[in-house]
Amino acid sequence: MTALRTTVARLFGRFAADVEGAPPAEFTFAPSSAEDAAALLDFASEHRMTVLPWGGGTHQCGPPPAPDVVVSTSALGGIDWHPDDLTVVVGAGIPLATLEARLAERGQSAVLPENPGAATVGGVIAAGASAWRRLRFGPTRDRILEVVAATGDGRVIRGGGQVVKNVSGYDLPRLYTGSLGSLGVITRVCLKLWPTGAATATVAMDDPARALAIAQRPQAILQTPGRVSVYLAGTEAEVEAQVAALGGSATPGLTWPDRPLGEVAASLRVPPSLVPDAVERIGAHDFVAAHGVGEVLVAGSLAVDTVTGWRDWAESHGGALVITRSPAGFTLDPWGTPPATLDLERRIKAAFDPIGVMVPGRLPGGI
Amino acid sequence: MASVPLVDDLVAALGAGAVKAEPLDRILFSKDAGATRGEVRAVVFPSDAAGVAAAIAVARKHGLPVVARGAGTGLAGGAVPADPAVLIVTMRMNRIEVDAANRTAWVGPGVINLDLSRHTAPLHLHFAPDPSSQAACTIGGNVANNSGGPHCLAEGTTSNHVLAVEYVDGEGQVRVAGGPAPDPTGLDVRGVLVGSEGTLGIIIRVLVRLTPDAPAVRTMLFAFPEVAGAAATVSGVIAAGVVPAALEMMDRPLIRAVENFVHAGLPVDAAAVLLAEVTGHPVGIAAEADLIVATAKRNGAFDVRVAADQAERDLLWKARKSAFGAIAQIAPDYYLHDVVVPRTRLVETLEAIYEIARRYDLLVLNTIHAGDGNLHPKFVYDAADLDQARRVKEASNEVVRLAIAAGGALSGEHGIGLEKRDLMPLSFSAVDLDAQARLREAFDPDRCFNPGSMLPAGSRCFDGHTAPRDPM
Repeated sequence: MTALRTTVARLFGRFAADVEGAPPAEFTFAPSSAEDAAALLDFASEHRMTVLPWGGGTHQCGPPPAPDVVVSTSALGGIDWHPDDLTVVVGAGIPLATLEARLAERGQSAVLPENPGAATVGGVIAAGASAWRRLRFGPTRDRILEVVAATGDGRVIRGGGQVVKNVSGYDLPRLYTGSLGSLGVITRVCLKLWPTGAATATVAMDDPARALAIAQRPQAILQTPGRVSVYLAGTEAEVEAQVAALGGSATPGLTWPDRPLGEVAASLRVPPSLVPDAVERIGAHDFVAAHGVGEVLVAGSLAVDTVTGWRDWAESHGGALVITRSPAGFTLDPWGTPPATLDLERRIKAAFDPIGVMVPGRLPGGI
Repeated sequence: MASVPLVDDLVAALGAGAVKAEPLDRILFSKDAGATRGEVRAVVFPSDAAGVAAAIAVARKHGLPVVARGAGTGLAGGAVPADPAVLIVTMRMNRIEVDAANRTAWVGPGVINLDLSRHTAPLHLHFAPDPSSQAACTIGGNVANNSGGPHCLAEGTTSNHVLAVEYVDGEGQVRVAGGPAPDPTGLDVRGVLVGSEGTLGIIIRVLVRLTPDAPAVRTMLFAFPEVAGAAATVSGVIAAGVVPAALEMMDRPLIRAVENFVHAGLPVDAAAVLLAEVTGHPVGIAAEADLIVATAKRNGAFDVRVAADQAERDLLWKARKSAFGAIAQIAPDYYLHDVVVPRTRLVETLEAIYEIARRYDLLVLNTIHAGDGNLHPKFVYDAADLDQARRVKEASNEVVRLAIAAGGALSGEHGIGLEKRDLMPLSFSAVDLDAQARLREAFDPDRCFNPGSMLPAGSRCFDGHTAPRDPM
């Protein structure tokens, strides 16, 4: 390791970085370009060192990795905004909060997860995390127009393009969304933006079914213990008319719930019509349920049997239960039953990371 | 006719009623709605996964690839074999199973796009992607090409509306990617299959998202004395924070051709017309419509028409969707483009296209998904006039280079197929194309599906390392 350390210091010493919150590793680097990231990964592949790409560390999933090398995206910056085209080209390391604050200057949004904390653009895309507003605007993957990434074996590749409509080649932007770093380091993306609407309101109601039936293209309908909130945006007159039709008590603005916290946290994913059923099963635990979408976040001191019961039920309806946080010794696989296309996914990963250095074992099925 | 072993095997596997291989059949199915022709050895019409798997197995036994085809409305040669092949027509796989509670449906690839929306109309649901060919094109073709249509401005293209894809791979295995719940775990195989142009497997069923019909719709038509005014209206509306359901533009030559064809009362003296539609909450769309009208007037619109009812709305849309039929009046052939530019660069792109047409002494007509920056310039010509055909080809080349130089893309919704395959290096580096080729190889290591389409030859940098195709 000493000789290797000297070589690494000589080749990549200028990228050495201290990254708060990142797991301990032999080396931690923050390359400042896709080419530099690729050079690092090429070296890692050659020396069979495992790599963990790191953004803000807010959306970790899968088994906890023990990497040889952490590649932080913190030095991959840049915001090239085209407000009249409703697009933005953004470096992977840009914090969501920074990007959204900028876009809000002209009433636009990339519709990435709300209350982002330290989350970065590259991180939420790699995690495939979506905003609650996906009920209105679709999941994050629908807005990734172009991706630039450094592959596990050190190639810089680009897929998609910087226009809102494009069918040239396979959809690499979607493939990289939710790939959890397994295909390399996302260094830059082009995102499709949406106007946010002049007026917003959050309406408190009792009955989610009534909210779903009455609200016209709401941003979200979220249920938390003891409360249903309908999130509206549009022109002032439209929001007023919708508030009147819904009949609940309205407050201006969109006030998003925090993610439920607890010793064990999970994301239950079912066909949207089963959300009320899921809420009933969850009972007294803390949760946020996205009506019309099908995702229910739940947290608490959850027993293995309880979680297994929910997982079996969700999987029997074509859904999943993903454990996003658990204490040491919690025996369940974070993902549950692996997808039916597991062997294919293994080959896809090998196409982008032939040596297998990118967070091995993190994807479902231990890929 | 002498017995042909390939055909005998296909008939034995699928039944005589599902195989066509007479010379006329092989010619009829040798091209789609584009300009390229390929060699088809036999055409099969399987009605289920077993039939598809059997067709693939027989083709492989005879050393032939398979090529998928829906209704053949594709414009890029995506359903045309690059090398001699067995053609798998998906039209008989046409079941629709609706899940109203979840607003989804499992749909066979052979279902016609418009038939799906008609089927779900009583539930006040529709399939949002609406290509102009929607009365003929199939869902399988839509998925293969990630098709768009006028209403994908606000609703997104096909990929946004596909939750799962069931397909048969080269080994004859049925595989399902995606599912009815949000965010299926693992890599997004479904996302890669959508837009893969039949190169990764044969789609046998698709789970689509259905969109609730909007409670209110307003459709407007604006006439402009200058193209720039129409384009400025598009930019102005988007910049004001409104994304209409559709923003479509037609230029003067096309307006005249269409008016002569459908008699919709289009303003034939306009340099451009803009068709705008807003959908949603009645109060919301009233404000949006006011904003669009004001923006159009500020940019010189001299004729503003708001459809009073469904019949008027249908007539305006009929005018827009009749462009292809209308062109047939002018010349026997046309070459159609599908380039995309950032929407802020529409005017300069359009003016440059007119300049190219003038320089090559050609007539060009334009329909434009203006809100998306997706242009469909059509050079009309007579293929029998070889000099004219050559000029069309050269002018077309310039149009593509122009769009790419403006930061745009080769194709917005028609696909790459055979016709734009060799233009891919204009958009992508050798390393990018190699990554695409590796991805394809992960799905189809034996090159069963439409080999030679979509990616130019030599995309895979280390082609020598891959197994050669079965030489039988």
